[in-house]
Amino acid sequence: MPVRPTLVPALLALGVSLLVPACNRDEVTHFRVAKAPQAADGVGGQASHAGAPAPPPGMAGDVAPPPAPDRGLRWTLPKGWTDQRSGGGMRYATLKAPVAGRIDASVVVLPGPAGGELMNVNRWRGQIGLGPIDEATLAAARSAVASPAGTISVYDFTSDGEKKSRLIAGLLEAGGSTWFVKVTGDAAPVGAAAKDFTQLLGSLRLE
Amino acid sequence: MVLVIGCTLAQVSLGTWGAVEIYMRAWIVWWRLPGTSLSLPVFPGGALVGLVLMFNLAAAQLKRMELSWKKLGLWIVHAGLILLFVGEFITGVYQVDTRLAVEVGQTVDFVESPRENELVVTDVTDPAADEVYGLPEGLLARADSIPLPGTPLTINVKKFFRNAQLGSRRPTDPPSPATMGVGPGVAVFELAAVANDEDVNRTSAFIEPVAGGRSYGTWLVSNVLGAPQSFTHEGRTYELAMRARRWYLPYSVTLKQFRHDVYEGTQIPKNFSSLVQLRDPARNEDREVLIFMNQPLRYAGKAFYQASFGKGDTLSILQVVENPGWLLPYISCVLVGIGLIVHFGIALRRAFKRRAALTEATT
Repeated sequence: MPVRPTLVPALLALGVSLLVPACNRDEVTHFRVAKAPQAADGVGGQASHAGAPAPPPGMAGDVAPPPAPDRGLRWTLPKGWTDQRSGGGMRYATLKAPVAGRIDASVVVLPGPAGGELMNVNRWRGQIGLGPIDEATLAAARSAVASPAGTISVYDFTSDGEKKSRLIAGLLEAGGSTWFVKVTGDAAPVGAAAKDFTQLLGSLRLE
Repeated sequence: MVLVIGCTLAQVSLGTWGAVEIYMRAWIVWWRLPGTSLSLPVFPGGALVGLVLMFNLAAAQLKRMELSWKKLGLWIVHAGLILLFVGEFITGVYQVDTRLAVEVGQTVDFVESPRENELVVTDVTDPAADEVYGLPEGLLARADSIPLPGTPLTINVKKFFRNAQLGSRRPTDPPSPATMGVGPGVAVFELAAVANDEDVNRTSAFIEPVAGGRSYGTWLVSNVLGAPQSFTHEGRTYELAMRARRWYLPYSVTLKQFRHDVYEGTQIPKNFSSLVQLRDPARNEDREVLIFMNQPLRYAGKAFYQASFGKGDTLSILQVVENPGWLLPYISCVLVGIGLIVHFGIALRRAFKRRAALTEATT
């Protein structure tokens, strides 16, 4: 019995149709995901979960975790503020300001000079879409707040654009570590919390 | 046979999954010339061999087999075999193997790839929900510039490492391409992809987000970095991370209890089971399901198998298999079985008839 010619293209079409989805596997995916409660460790913004598989063997040692600072940073909370001490990692604490809107305040500690002041300031500027600055501009942008822990270098930047973001960060090198106390978010809520935040910076002490 | 031997030997260096992908699932087996980026085709892959076999079987069936009741059994057998080939193609193309790791008391609404990573750009601006964009590592490996649909962002991939060693940067290390985030302080060295099925690549990349004609610097992303990395464009904050490739589900699974039973007086495992609460508001589904060995939960096209556990028996890891062609091998086996029985019945009937005719002729 001869092969029916119509069957050949039909079989080819079947084969091609089976293969087409393979080409779509590597496309950008998009999901809208309800915000999960903040992770206990407060590190990173991804929706990590405690049940995630442990890192593969050897992975955890790739980038040394920051050593525990000799002394911990303490502060006096302004009225209405709360804080949540983290369970370790780079984010030392998360602070909550009693203002509405998008705002996040954090205390982060890194070992040693943590790349230096200029690099960190430019990193912050980049986070709100501002270009890098040089040493001379850095000095001009810096203000200082005196605290029992020492003099805190403070930077206050507001982004360009229609919806402005603002970042106020205090930087303190002490005890072999660098401490970053930062508030960031939309310009209005950060502005509303700015006075209290400066007061909090002034209360920093090492214990 | 050559493919089977090659695939078996390659498992030593590539692992089971890697060897099957390169030898069995591929159209062509490629060999990379040592010390170069040039690859040469050396043998037809399992997919090509399977396709040729399937066409050969179909053509032989149509050309040589007469369309008569006497051959009905063989027609059914061959149809079953062709269905087996089709099923394997569907499995190869459509099957997605993922896993769901959930701790006791925890609710999870996503599955993750056990092998593949993705770059995730998350718009965290909305206080109620995140917009999560996943860029699979396969896309990062081959694309230089990836626009994110629905956003002003384009991600330029400066350098991609399927696997890399990361360490604190020393003064003798070459300068980092990274200008933002934690990258400038980290040295990255490329490694060969992992061969062991239990290992995971430390996928890393230097990427540059661009929006509105403005570059937001070059960032290092890797699944071994946990530090927060984010930037803000026009009032919207985007976070960057590399993690296991993830698919969100329209339903959730809560682990109520995990049991790890052993034979009395020994540490020999007897049974693992997960009691989960399945909740799917869209389908009005809210029920308890007990998943244990060889008793998966089948729901919405996925099968959840008890696969592993950890964290002192408080973490359950379910293997999640989505394969729209999972029934085809069963159907083809049944067809082949029926075909053989029919053919045997016809041959038997013919033998009886011949015997009766012979008896009649001799009497």
